[in-house]
Amino acid sequence: MRTNLEQLLAEVLQIPVERVTAELAMQDMDAWDSLKHMELIASLEQQLHIELSFDEIVTMRSVGDIKRVLSAKGVAV
Amino acid sequence: MDLREKQIIVSGGVKGLGRAIIGKLVSRGSVVTVFDIEETGFDSLKEEYPAVECVACDVSNYEGVFAATEEFFANHGAPDVLVNNAGILYSEPLLRFTGDGLQIHDRKTWDRVLQTNLSSVFYMTSCLVAKMVATRTKGVVVNIGSVAAAGNPGASAYSATKAAVHSLTGAWARELGPLGIRVVAVAPGFMDTDSARAATTETALRETIKRVPLRRLGRTEEVADAVVAVIENDFFNGKVFELDGGLTI
Repeated sequence: MRTNLEQLLAEVLQIPVERVTAELAMQDMDAWDSLKHMELIASLEQQLHIELSFDEIVTMRSVGDIKRVLSAKGVAV
Repeated sequence: MDLREKQIIVSGGVKGLGRAIIGKLVSRGSVVTVFDIEETGFDSLKEEYPAVECVACDVSNYEGVFAATEEFFANHGAPDVLVNNAGILYSEPLLRFTGDGLQIHDRKTWDRVLQTNLSSVFYMTSCLVAKMVATRTKGVVVNIGSVAAAGNPGASAYSATKAAVHSLTGAWARELGPLGIRVVAVAPGFMDTDSARAATTETALRETIKRVPLRRLGRTEEVADAVVAVIENDFFNGKVFELDGGLTI
């Protein structure tokens, strides 16, 4: 069962949702560059009604990192 | 964006269009800081607008911009708005027929115009937008372009820099929009300013006015109004607001 977060990440990164694993990281994906990262941050903020700090943004370099940051903010992932 | 109490940096604001922009922003309650190389104009600017802070900075020099923007950030935090207004109006054709034959556009002048009108925009924007992103400040970058971006004969360097500034406006709007930073441009046509008059002849100016459907030059206050409008309108992004009296219809 895929979560809404995984669906959202798959949509923004334009990959099949099956590829969205905790290990998937920016460094492993050419398409996940800085521009895509900004788009991802904007989508997360908009969809989840949260605001991410700069430190959180630069920490979120893998799906696992993203989940950790969101969990710490009280978002169910 | 509501302009009240917003921290706004205007480059090149001591005279001409920059000064008119400052006047409008101050009247809207903004907190304005001017970055300008012309320190001799600071007293007169402060006399007219006592609350305006003046920073001596050659915006065409990266080290100077870096130091000045770091100091601004330490004192005020990230700005809400940056107006990239500094620039020089310069006319010189690619080739000139002289008594000695053909003379080509001076290379040093070419470099100076590019540095002042284009590199300065990159230096100021990159240094300040980095601070805006780091503090998650949502805001606006306004670039002063020109209708000369389409290619004014006799103004190769100036036209090229303004076309590049329009291009940066689109590129940066796409890059920074997701983070809540809009990037827009205002492109004046021929303006009634001392620098515009100095850069051309009376005859050429009269011919230009004939080509403008409204039969006059633009006023700095009108361009300043456009700058305020593009800052206030939160859905205006990545576009160039042309204000030329219909010259380019």
